[in-house]
Amino acid sequence: MIASATGLSKKKVEELISTNNAILRETLMSGKAVQLQGLGTLEVKAKKERSIVHPRTGERAVVPSKNQLVFRPVTQIKDELKKI
Amino acid sequence: MAENKLSWTELRRALANRAGVSEKEANLFLQAFNAQLIEALKQDKQVKINGLGIFRLQAVAPRKSVNVSSGEEITIEGYNKIAFMPEAGVKELVEKGTVAKQEQTAPAVREDIDPLKKLGAQADEIVDILGELGQMPGDVQGTKDEVPESPENPESPENPENPESPESPEKPENPEEPEKPESPESPENPEEPEMHTSQESTPEKPKYHFMRDTLICVVVLLMLLLVGYFFLRHELSGWINDFVNGQPKTENVQGDNVQSTVQGDNVQGDNVQSTMYEAPSVEEELLLTEEITEGSRLAWIAKKHYGNKVYWPYLYEANKDRITNPSKIAIGTPIRVPKLTAAQRDTTRAEFQALRERAYAATEE
Repeated sequence: MIASATGLSKKKVEELISTNNAILRETLMSGKAVQLQGLGTLEVKAKKERSIVHPRTGERAVVPSKNQLVFRPVTQIKDELKKI
Repeated sequence: MAENKLSWTELRRALANRAGVSEKEANLFLQAFNAQLIEALKQDKQVKINGLGIFRLQAVAPRKSVNVSSGEEITIEGYNKIAFMPEAGVKELVEKGTVAKQEQTAPAVREDIDPLKKLGAQADEIVDILGELGQMPGDVQGTKDEVPESPENPESPENPENPESPESPEKPENPEEPEKPESPESPENPEEPEMHTSQESTPEKPKYHFMRDTLICVVVLLMLLLVGYFFLRHELSGWINDFVNGQPKTENVQGDNVQSTVQGDNVQGDNVQSTMYEAPSVEEELLLTEEITEGSRLAWIAKKHYGNKVYWPYLYEANKDRITNPSKIAIGTPIRVPKLTAAQRDTTRAEFQALRERAYAATEE
């Protein structure tokens, strides 16, 4: 479908998709965020460690800090999809 | 654009360079790709991008709320939101930290992606990812080896002692309590990581999900162990302090009861019950111990665990031996967080006032 929309060959599109993914991955790995125009931002967020309480035993535990990949949609898209 | 953000233009340029197409074509492609993504999201509610993750449209149900200013009940309409779930391999890589900068400097390796061999290339990528993941079980095993050891150290001297001389030392009780919940776990551990590594070496897609599950299992187990280990350590250090001060514990009397029941449980191997039984007696003294991290303060820790930062002087009091000036604590200092009684929570008491004054005086030093 992308091929028909852009007039590029199917092969080319496939190649582009995989290259695109590779670029996205590498950028995100290096800690940078990626802006996708008209879509949103993919970024790596550091989650702090937090303490939790086990509901059954009342035990306290600490969840270690980690990084998480998050996606923030552009407001326009967000609103558009809200109404579906 | 901020420095730590790859802008649209940069992405376009990088893509054009890497794939050997013109920037115009790359732009066309990216726009079509994004448009397609949104369309697909609208239609199918879910879009999977191989090698990256899944975008999914999630419905948020309508819910009731209260208008903050007027106190009226209002209903928040349901809506949809986009949720993004990174693919397992990508997620793991990100979680491990974002140190893989070398990848960026060596793009040549990836440039030879042949469209015809796309599947093969993807498999290769997965192999790469798995290779990196493969390092993890090693780490996991490393820490695991450490963890079970320490619970065993106190265990070995204490277990034989218990039946023979139950009254003499208070030692055995404390270390023993947290150790119970752990012992059933430790035998499993050594096996799991090995299984894990053997599976990782076969990089086929169907097994990928299974491997992810086992990885999660291992991580959860590791976390449980760590938690148990922390409890144990604090108990130990708490006990050592008591011993040095020569203060016999009131727990001593209770301890014997606990001990006997605990041993009964142990024989039956009913560790769920014993954990539940032991939990309160452990918590009588200490909620937990927290390490000072960069930028954290006693007041924050107090707010986190007591719900109010005015109680921070108790933290200072409990950790006097390690802290000279409460406003300048070295990073990494373990802070014991004692449990507060209802009386201690009363901030109007003279004792608390005095305590607070002392604590504030210490900040001046």
